[in-house]
Amino acid sequence: MKLREHLTGETLALAGLVLVLALLPSLATAFFVNFVMTQTLILGLAAATIVFLAKYGGMTSLAQLLMFGIAGFMFGNAALDGGARGLNLGWHPWAAVGFAILVTTLVAFVLGAVASRTTGIYFLMLTLVYGVVGYFVFAQIVEISGPGGITSIQRPELLGPPVRLYYAGLLLSVLAYAGFRMLGRTAFGLALQGVRDDPVRMASLGFNVPLHRALAFTLAGFVAGLAGLLNVWWNGQIDPASISIGPTLILLIIAVIGGMSSLAGAWLGAFVYVLVLTYLRDLPLVDRIGITEARFNTVIGVIVLVIMVLSPEGLTGIVQRLRGTTRKELGGIRP
Amino acid sequence: MSGPKLRKALVLLVSAGLALVTGCAGDGDDSAGLPADQQNSVAGGSGSGDGIRLGILGQCEGPFGGFHEDVVAGTTLALARFAGATPESSTSALEGFSGAEVAGTPIELVGIGCGDDTADRVVQEVRRLVEQLGANVIIGPLSGDEGIAIAEYAKSNPELTVLAGISGSQEQTLQVQAPNYFRFYGDGAIWNAGLGDLLHNEEGWDTVAVIADDYSFGHTSAAGFIADFCGVGGKVTHRVFPPLGTTDYSSYIAALPGPDEVDGYFWAVGGTGTQAALEAFVNGQGDLSGDQHAGNLFFNPDLAQALGTDIAGAYVGGFATLPADVRTPEIEEYLAAADETWESIPGSLSGNEPAPPSVAAAFGFFYGYYTAGVALVEGLEAVGGDVSDLDAFHEAIAGLTLDLPYGEISLDENRSGIVDVGLSRLALDDSGNVVQETVAIVPGVDQTFGGTFSPDTPSPGRDFPACEERELPWEGNAIPVVDGVPQS
Amino acid sequence: MTPAPSRLAPLRRPPVWVATVVAVAVAAWVLFLADGTPAGAAVDDPGRFLVTVLDGITFAGLLFVAASGFTLIFGLMRTVNMAHGSLFLLAAYVAIRVQEAMVGRSRNLDPADVGVLDWLVPLLAGAGVAAVLGLLIQQVFLQWNEGQEMRQTLLTLAITVVLADQMLREFGGLAQRMVWPGGVTHFFSVLGERYAVTRIFMLAIAVLVGVLLWLWLNRTSVGMVIRAGVDDRQMVRGLGINIRRVFALTFLVGSFLAGVGGVLGASFAGAAPGTDGNWLLNALVVVIIGGLGSLKGAAAGSLLYGTVVAFSPAYLPAQYSYYAIIMTFGLLALVLAVRPNGLFGRPA
Repeated sequence: MKLREHLTGETLALAGLVLVLALLPSLATAFFVNFVMTQTLILGLAAATIVFLAKYGGMTSLAQLLMFGIAGFMFGNAALDGGARGLNLGWHPWAAVGFAILVTTLVAFVLGAVASRTTGIYFLMLTLVYGVVGYFVFAQIVEISGPGGITSIQRPELLGPPVRLYYAGLLLSVLAYAGFRMLGRTAFGLALQGVRDDPVRMASLGFNVPLHRALAFTLAGFVAGLAGLLNVWWNGQIDPASISIGPTLILLIIAVIGGMSSLAGAWLGAFVYVLVLTYLRDLPLVDRIGITEARFNTVIGVIVLVIMVLSPEGLTGIVQRLRGTTRKELGGIRP
Repeated sequence: MSGPKLRKALVLLVSAGLALVTGCAGDGDDSAGLPADQQNSVAGGSGSGDGIRLGILGQCEGPFGGFHEDVVAGTTLALARFAGATPESSTSALEGFSGAEVAGTPIELVGIGCGDDTADRVVQEVRRLVEQLGANVIIGPLSGDEGIAIAEYAKSNPELTVLAGISGSQEQTLQVQAPNYFRFYGDGAIWNAGLGDLLHNEEGWDTVAVIADDYSFGHTSAAGFIADFCGVGGKVTHRVFPPLGTTDYSSYIAALPGPDEVDGYFWAVGGTGTQAALEAFVNGQGDLSGDQHAGNLFFNPDLAQALGTDIAGAYVGGFATLPADVRTPEIEEYLAAADETWESIPGSLSGNEPAPPSVAAAFGFFYGYYTAGVALVEGLEAVGGDVSDLDAFHEAIAGLTLDLPYGEISLDENRSGIVDVGLSRLALDDSGNVVQETVAIVPGVDQTFGGTFSPDTPSPGRDFPACEERELPWEGNAIPVVDGVPQS
Repeated sequence: MTPAPSRLAPLRRPPVWVATVVAVAVAAWVLFLADGTPAGAAVDDPGRFLVTVLDGITFAGLLFVAASGFTLIFGLMRTVNMAHGSLFLLAAYVAIRVQEAMVGRSRNLDPADVGVLDWLVPLLAGAGVAAVLGLLIQQVFLQWNEGQEMRQTLLTLAITVVLADQMLREFGGLAQRMVWPGGVTHFFSVLGERYAVTRIFMLAIAVLVGVLLWLWLNRTSVGMVIRAGVDDRQMVRGLGINIRRVFALTFLVGSFLAGVGGVLGASFAGAAPGTDGNWLLNALVVVIIGGLGSLKGAAAGSLLYGTVVAFSPAYLPAQYSYYAIIMTFGLLALVLAVRPNGLFGRPA
């Protein structure tokens, strides 16, 4: 079977990639591993939840960065003791982790349940509004954050050296990738894809359509929360601006760069984004053509524009088209 | 059905396991060889005395994105004047400089960080400067929340030396207390010091309503005014904090008392809100009579070019420099030096069009980064260019007293500036533009406001500080300024 | 997986009751009970209440102008134009530049210096630039991939990112403002409270825009084609109508309206980086409440949103007034719980 050979090849390539990533700390500079690649894995993990919802559920969500942020804020509130802002519960870091993930997942379930009857563009806009509400909740309610956010967040001792954070990101990324892929073949995953393709028929077959959507949103929120924990450990602080409309759109853009129908594309998109963010201004050519570092957003915007003009399936779509393979699975980008 | 899937998942899991094993092995005691385990391997090089590798943290995006050129130029001017630096371009500071050297120690500009007014981004930018480009001295950042994040970063990276740019939050020095973080200018609260003294004791205001942006800088700025005004015996009757991004201020303005119910109003609303909130006031409460209003630096006509003319007469807090009507020989010399260093600079005040560099140099953003540059030069001179002993270097910086064009600056025990604050009044010039006229200089203002703020108090907020009378060290010490001449 | 499709229908009723109860409770609160609030109960201070009502309605006018173009484009083309806020801001900046050139001053403009023409000409110039740019975006990036809604949305999103950056470069980061003409900068009195004519003027323009739009859509042949296209695009095409030209025209008008909104907005509250995102959000909120693609919905959504924006800071208990802005979005949740497609919206 052609499909089988194709998959095996792809699997081997992915396994090889993971191996390279595992060995990377011995090969690359500290900055590349601890900054560029760690950020790539964190953003990729978060963007993968957007791709998961789009690919299997047909929902383009702008609320994933909110989930990412909630986990970060909740960890900060629970773990810190005597900080300038927040609840300062002073819990054990791992208890704080559990608390953060629990709250994030619950919020994701409630928001997912409210949004479960909307689809397509409406869903996109509703989740954007979620993001904005979340921003104002953390900006206005000083008991849990306030405009200054939560600073000097320490990571658990287990993750002390920065390279361990990288490995944590790698492990979670691999688990999320494999988990999402496997989920697509479970009864729930198949039903979810049925809901994506024809909700009316699925409803008449007796499936609870809103419940499936809400549960998928909950799962995506849970994973985004994990990424959000890595992020506050990596960044050491979080404030409402971290989840404002700008970064919210950036996370969607990352998913779009990689391709909304490819899970692996999320990490690819994150990699491209971080590379451009970090290294673009080092290119000797760049200021000659009038793009200084100050115009970074223009470059990112143009990249997305070009990618979307060439292929709605992002970079992975372009790569596949170049390889001349036609994808059997459509998905992701659909109304 | 799931044959290939299962196999694939297995392979992935095995790889992940492998990754973990490799990782854990790498994390063991013998892992010192892993390059990625050494957090700041490059910055450690500073100890070997191979010079200063300087990174400047500006903002090229966000609300202060227009000031990127200004702040880089500020530091560059200091190094051009006192360390022999030559800018690479005569029309822009962003091209960098060469030839800077103090007491035999070269200063190399390794990079310019590009913030966007968020703490997240500035932490990433400073990590790029330090971890990738090997900076060992950072000048910056520009805004309040960024300052807290960078101070925290400095605290966890003791081999670094940070001289703050113009970031106005109190906590970065008062609470964080990083021993390698120095601020040679005042904070957002300090810039309003003396305003309450002036309004209560000279203008006879007993009651005032405060309206400020509901975020850190608005709180800090209002806190400085409240501490001062209440300290000398005034009463703050109302505090209104409209959220950032408010479009229609009318409902918030309606929560203020009417013009006949209080003696005056203090405004700390920035961005589009400065003018929009004043207009809402005119619409709902009554005509502006300038002498019933006072504002923080958001009333500075350079920043608020959209202000209507009816605000003339209002009092304005300080912002690092003094208004243009004060022209001492030191200030003249400083501005002339800026004009000699470049032909033109596309600073923010000229709409990012080329303009004489002195236009940017007379404003606070440029000047804050300038004072940091001067502090770096004088700190190096004090240790004879030898930075191998970082503690000695930091001690030397902490002990500096800088003789600067807009007044002397020294540091308190938290390494935050003790500065002179220039208070001014808005007036109309002959061509109908709103300008500032300096009315007083308040000398020697420090962060604590006579004890209102201390490392043990919370950050300024919606209800902190309370309105309490208190002994202020500078009460009654303000030096009046008449027609631009201090009457000392 | 629990089969419960039949449960959906009865579930729709309770939220309507919930909404009614909430509305009655809010009215009772504002009228009689709101003693500890900044404004006080309406029966005690009717002037303040009336002013708040006026604030809500006049601000709704601005919201309507900003949202009408957005909903027009969506209704016909199903494109969520994320660049709407950018067009709004660009028009504002252009108009400010033109006004400054006409008055001959670049700062501290006074309404007394500004004649009616000094406001109208910049309005048309700014909105015109927005219209042309909008048309250009539609022709270059959206025309050939019609029907791929998500792709179009993401394309306009990318354009927004580029435009925001380029506007920061061109116009700087400092707040600027458009100045109302001196002729409308007057005040009148309602129940002893002072009120600004400029706000009424803004509302008048919004009503004018609404009436013209209604006439265009209901009394002209192009308008009928657009309305038919909203209902059934394939049918319109089948009738041999060149729907591409209609699309282009709709985008031109929609972008022009964004521009008019931008100039009004800059006169009302100024313009600065970030204004674009704020107004995209405002337009989104209005049309989510009202229902995407419906002009009636945009009007209803504007009124509801404007009212909540005006009332929540005034009538929330003083210690909760910081949460006024969260209330605003609570309104959204309420509407969506009752009607997932907005008040006048149809299923996608």
